[in-house]
Amino acid sequence: MKNKEVGMTLIVKTITRLTVGLILLYGIYIVLHGHLSPGGGFAGGVIIALSFIHLMLAFGKEVALRKLSESWASIFESLGAIMFLSIAVLGFIGGYFFLNFFIQKGKPFELFSAGIIPLCNIAISLKVGAGLFAIFAVLILFNKSGDK
Amino acid sequence: MSVYILCLILFCIGLYCVLRKRNIIKIIIGLGIIEYAINLFFVLVGYRTHGRAPILAKDQVISNMVDPIPQALVLTSIVIGLAVTALLVAIAIRIYEKYGTFDITKIRRLRG
Repeated sequence: MKNKEVGMTLIVKTITRLTVGLILLYGIYIVLHGHLSPGGGFAGGVIIALSFIHLMLAFGKEVALRKLSESWASIFESLGAIMFLSIAVLGFIGGYFFLNFFIQKGKPFELFSAGIIPLCNIAISLKVGAGLFAIFAVLILFNKSGDK
Repeated sequence: MSVYILCLILFCIGLYCVLRKRNIIKIIIGLGIIEYAINLFFVLVGYRTHGRAPILAKDQVISNMVDPIPQALVLTSIVIGLAVTALLVAIAIRIYEKYGTFDITKIRRLRG
């Protein structure tokens, strides 16, 4: 509350402090239930990124970048891509690309019965969430670095 | 049939916005409208009357579902549209830094 010119008003900050954790948890729920219900890696990743963007809009870019700096966002994005590729390549131990190597045949409508599909969803959500946050952060930081 | 014509009208609104407006931000919004018109058309092609969402749930028989393939295609298209919009906004910011305006008739170095 000391630097009032950074970010939005007190009402917005209070509501953001209450809701940003719920938005993050909802995104994680969408990711983990991606093989059972609508949603999945992309939609959950977008919601996770939106929680950080929400923080950035309400509190200014310093607070959000302290939570997740742009170098860490880049690391997470690359980690998601490498994780997805390595899951795909690990299918070769059974003989095929993208082979579901944990289980032979999953049971429908059960949370822990899908083999590599939730892992793929987690990888996609890391990639999408960190990538979307990085796009937004770079568009904001553009002004500061660009004036020369 | 009338919904397809409404999609075409929405597409034409976006096309008018791209071709006629001079502000770069309005052109980007017009591109977004075009993209959503195409997405809406694709989803409507796969629709059937009184169809259900193509979600398999417990104790539910599979009957009268809408076509899920256009929906998967549109999901991919939305991702690509997001990336294209981000790229366009970045280019618009760069143009504003360089020329100090969003008006496309004032952005010209080549005066011929």
